[in-house]
Amino acid sequence: MEIPLAQEVIFGLVIGSYIALGAIGFTLVYGLVNMINFAHGEFITIGAFVGYFAVAEIGLPLPVAVLVALGGTAVVGWGIARITFEPMNDAGAVPLLLMSIGLGLVLRNGIRAIAGPDRRNIRTDVATYRFDDLGFFVTSQQLLIIGLTLVSVLVLHLFLSRTMLGIAMRATADNEDLALVSGIDTRRVRNAVWLAASGLAGVAGVMLGTAQAASPTVGFGQLLLIITAAILGGAGSPYGAVAGSYILGVAVTVSVPFLQRLEETLALNLELTALNSTMAFVILIVVLLVRPGGLVSAEVRTS
Amino acid sequence: MSDGASRFEEFPVDAVHVGLTLFVLAVLFLYSPLFVQPPGGTFTVLEVVVLFLLYAMILVGLNLQFGHAGLVNFGPVAFFAVGGYTAAMLTANEPFRAVGLGYPWPVGLLAAILVAAALGVLLGISTLRLRDDFLAIVTLAVAEIIHGLLETQSDITGGSLGLNNVPRPIAGTTTAGDGAVLVSTIIVFGALALLFYGVFRRLSASPYGRVLRAIRADEQVTETLGKRVFRYKLAVFVYGAAVAGLAGALLVFYNGAAAPGFFTINVTVIVWIGMLIGGAGSDRGVLGGLAIIMSFQLFTRFLNDQIPFVTQDQFASIRLVLIGLLLMVIVKYRPEGIWGDADELGVES
Amino acid sequence: MTLLAVDGLRRSFGSLVAVDGVSFEIEAGEIVGMIGPNGAGKTTTFNCILSVIDSDAGTVSFDGADVTGGPPHALARRGLVRTFQQTRELETLTVADNMLLAAPEHPGERAWHAVGRTSTSAQREAAARERAMELLEVFDIAGMVEEYAGNLSGGQRKLLELARSLMLDPKLLLLDEPFAGVNPSLTNEIVGHIEALNDDGMTLLIIEHELETLTDLVDRLIVLADGQVLATGPPAAIMENEEVIDAYLGG
Ligand SMILES: Nc1ncnc2c1ncn2[C@@H]1O[C@H](COP(=O)(O)OP(=O)(O)OP(=O)(O)O)[C@@H](O)[C@H]1O
Ligand SMILES: [Mg+2]
Repeated sequence: MEIPLAQEVIFGLVIGSYIALGAIGFTLVYGLVNMINFAHGEFITIGAFVGYFAVAEIGLPLPVAVLVALGGTAVVGWGIARITFEPMNDAGAVPLLLMSIGLGLVLRNGIRAIAGPDRRNIRTDVATYRFDDLGFFVTSQQLLIIGLTLVSVLVLHLFLSRTMLGIAMRATADNEDLALVSGIDTRRVRNAVWLAASGLAGVAGVMLGTAQAASPTVGFGQLLLIITAAILGGAGSPYGAVAGSYILGVAVTVSVPFLQRLEETLALNLELTALNSTMAFVILIVVLLVRPGGLVSAEVRTS
Repeated sequence: MSDGASRFEEFPVDAVHVGLTLFVLAVLFLYSPLFVQPPGGTFTVLEVVVLFLLYAMILVGLNLQFGHAGLVNFGPVAFFAVGGYTAAMLTANEPFRAVGLGYPWPVGLLAAILVAAALGVLLGISTLRLRDDFLAIVTLAVAEIIHGLLETQSDITGGSLGLNNVPRPIAGTTTAGDGAVLVSTIIVFGALALLFYGVFRRLSASPYGRVLRAIRADEQVTETLGKRVFRYKLAVFVYGAAVAGLAGALLVFYNGAAAPGFFTINVTVIVWIGMLIGGAGSDRGVLGGLAIIMSFQLFTRFLNDQIPFVTQDQFASIRLVLIGLLLMVIVKYRPEGIWGDADELGVES
Repeated sequence: MTLLAVDGLRRSFGSLVAVDGVSFEIEAGEIVGMIGPNGAGKTTTFNCILSVIDSDAGTVSFDGADVTGGPPHALARRGLVRTFQQTRELETLTVADNMLLAAPEHPGERAWHAVGRTSTSAQREAAARERAMELLEVFDIAGMVEEYAGNLSGGQRKLLELARSLMLDPKLLLLDEPFAGVNPSLTNEIVGHIEALNDDGMTLLIIEHELETLTDLVDRLIVLADGQVLATGPPAAIMENEEVIDAYLGG
């Protein structure tokens, strides 16, 4: 069956929204804590389980569960970062990266050991709105995730441009040493970053829990997409990360039928579509090699 | 440790000489009617020893890259896999649904080294100018892409089933059964691992290694002191790739098959953790670290059979939790590992 | 003979033009000082000459050859060597290794010699070690030879960096603030070393804020301000120059 382009774009926007919620946090941590956090996917997983618990066990409605996951994951993520990353803040990029890999292993498999490998879907009522003339449909769930992402971006924007702490964050991202000299409490900035990054990851987690399921690897599965989006948007730039996420989301979904057609015309069976997730890696590498600074320019080269 | 001359004196015997001698003896042993039958019940242990020797070959290259030159290569398994599949596809005889060209095994072995090295050159030229943490991401992503290709391109690689009917040169030299094959394999692989250890050790203990450590400390200064930094980085990247490719070929020739399961990201995790436990940059230490982490895995596997109320899946998860914790503890409390040198790595513990 | 000729060098960072059409020449055998207020573009000029960073425009020729944008390692081998403003010892290497690393044309730095443990490599290593020890004796840090460079004091680092550059037998040595953060007696010592090197025929270009020491030492001064050459000439004349005085007081 041929899926209309409009439908593909909607799927792309949905996927882009999941990625964006993860990528904003990832890129904030990268820009302000100077680390690549390989455990960021696990923060999403935590959010998914918090959301599942809130809906399935306590019986809260989904919007409330989203808030619970936001707050719960923010605190948990911040607490974990305080114990693991904060004490070795000056150790450099590679030790922090290794630390986050260890943390990711512990969280991912710890959750799996406790909760088992099962996939727990967060059940919600889904309404579907059809636009048959235009050839597409959207579900209430899809609208919710897109809406939540837009609200998050808006709140983030207001925070970064209107509050003292947000302005301090931007100053720190530009030049940490200068920020220190001018009396900005960079420790406080880092605390805020961890709270924001994990909170947004939590929201992404609940929404992934409704669309897919809460499972031990639900967040980890998003990680390379998130990294790709963040780099595409210029590592360290939250607005860039949002743009990068949507570009990536749409690119991945739209490329599927394109690859199918390519295979048909070439009369080859290369199973290109099976490479859908591999596509993200390819995009990542191409971005790093061709335009390492992303859409805007960031320093990723040694000299 | 860092003084070239004293490094030389450190060793009563030279690993290159011993490795070569042992290799010659191993080949003679293979073609003699002699064989050694291992005691019953040691199979599991011996199979882990085979893997240890192959991972050790990957690790000596990785340690030169990261421990000495500071290159964060998170994709050593990519070269291991490419070597393994190159060898398998060139030598397999009518494998089930995959490319199998049926060439003799030496062709496969040589091609495995060359193709892995070529991938190293390609990847190195394009990525070695990236900053540490981005190099880590790209190498990791390349490894995942390759793994993805192996799993999906069924008509070429056999997909998730892999390829069978790959020649088993060592098994062909004896009729005394699997146990004898295992022992012979260990002797041959052991000799090779020792040889590679010796060669890489000579590199790291010489003025060559000094340049690598200078690059890790400060690329720009090293360059202004007249060293072609990029060339060195590329070279160690390719050497490591070539040896990993060879190790991949040895693995498929031992198994008589290739499958994506042999070449997962777990290989990267294990060699990296082994390196960090032992102490990056300590040539012997990293092998000790690898032995520790692989013994731990083996030990816990036995343990699993003893504990009835934990499911296998839970047990596997707990094991990974422990490995992750170990990694965190090492990075935080002992960044120089057990045998590493904190001054040389520029870390405080 | 003109050893170094810099012509129209330009480099900007965003909207800031750090080096704005700098031209000058250095004759073989000279000691030349480069002065200018903070942010005048002195260090950036060094960086562009050695192509540690890319320059936007301009040419650099050294010892009769055009070396614009040439890789830094090639410049070092030609005899154009520099020190850094913030000393950059290889802290995770010992003092001995810092020195030996700089030894040029070392066969042991090629893989084949390293694995084969050739005698040419061993001989070169022994010769380099001898030369390194000589220099360390001269600079009075021979006692620290097996110490990690990270454990040296600030003054010792300056000396090591200077000694390390000399392992390359430079024709032209560019020093970026060799007296900054150095106590007066050590300053005198370094001045002595520089004069001795110059007597042996080495050419030097020295960036320095410590004017008193510098004017006694150099044959000629180049004054940089806002990325441009403001004046050049013998120290006595420069110190009288109105524009220069303005630039310093105003900057
Ligand atoms: N990498 C860089 N990025 C952005 N601006 C830079 C960079 N390097 C130097 N600058 C700017 O270029 C100008 C010249 O700097 P430079 O270091 O060359 O000055 P200088 O004359 O050596 O000063 P000082 O005497 O303080 O060492 C300064 O305004 C500096 O802030
Ligand atoms: Mg300067």
